[in-house]
Amino acid sequence: MPSLGELERTIMDVLWRASSACTAKQVQDSLITRDLATTTVLTVLGRLEHKGFVVRQRVGRAHQYRATATREDHIAELMTDALGTAPDRTAALARFLGGIDESERVTARRLLG
Amino acid sequence: MVIVGLVLLGTGLVLAEPASAAMARATWPTRAPATALLVWQGLGLGAGIAFLSSGVLLALSSPLLLSAALWGITASLAVRLLGVLIITGVRTLRARRRHRQLLDLIATPWPDRPGAAVLDHPTPVAYCLPGLHSRLVVSRGVLDMLTGPQLEAVVAHERAHLAERHDLVVLPFVAWGATLPWLSGVLRSQLAVAQLLEMRADDVAATQCGAKHLAAALHRVSSHAGFTSGPSVSDFGSAANRRARRVLSR
Repeated sequence: MPSLGELERTIMDVLWRASSACTAKQVQDSLITRDLATTTVLTVLGRLEHKGFVVRQRVGRAHQYRATATREDHIAELMTDALGTAPDRTAALARFLGGIDESERVTARRLLG
Repeated sequence: MVIVGLVLLGTGLVLAEPASAAMARATWPTRAPATALLVWQGLGLGAGIAFLSSGVLLALSSPLLLSAALWGITASLAVRLLGVLIITGVRTLRARRRHRQLLDLIATPWPDRPGAAVLDHPTPVAYCLPGLHSRLVVSRGVLDMLTGPQLEAVVAHERAHLAERHDLVVLPFVAWGATLPWLSGVLRSQLAVAQLLEMRADDVAATQCGAKHLAAALHRVSSHAGFTSGPSVSDFGSAANRRARRVLSR
């Protein structure tokens, strides 16, 4: 049994590759390497929706799912955090190089008035 | 009581201003960052407690009108300090959770290293996401750029941040630095603590993996063009140089 994390990655990959919104059944069918129950797919989609990576929309009687952002957008978001270039930063992560110097500069600027 | 209150007020002022300025000027902290971090924490805690308790003591022993004003000031200071700490803590946790969830979807787990992941991006970055479910992340750019031992030094540096929970050390300084930016002592401490934590992690990495490799990693990562944009490149390079020189001269 693959872990939930693995399933989330697999299903996100399907949605990122898909050109349009997919139903749970379509997601299930495109998972050629894995034979998952529809309920499992729905559970994982629900988790992804809760985390904000997937939106659900009702089309007729079916629910369709699509990714809220492209994979590239998400990578860009991670890199923005990682490089400390976002305007409102908390001490969320510790960088090998970079973040400290940024705060140093801001602090120095404030100290200098 | 008035005298004790005034003495405490004076103590708070001395800790917040001349004492923090002296600490910021001192050179010994670069040789003993762990001790210096304790001193900064002591200064911060001491000044806070001195200010608040002097407020209470003076309020208790003042005439009615002045007393009400002093209670108001003391209470609002206490609420603000605590409130900001909580808000910053919650915001930090939220930002970290979002980042971790994204990482878990996108980054490739690093074989044989639990909690470590590789981000498929050419820009060299290495960082850690502290917390109960911590993550250590390096980009493909870092993997391509560093030799094996240099990479181990970077990993050891990040693991030191995680193991010693440097995020918790820095949190109150970041939080209070954001609310009391007009107090130069607070800003000074924020700056010093951030640098000392890097020194501390550098010391751990240099001891485990060799100062030579850590210094080489610092040089390589910092000299990479396009790592940061604009005028920050030089600051950034000089900060890395300072760190490299320090670990080599230990």
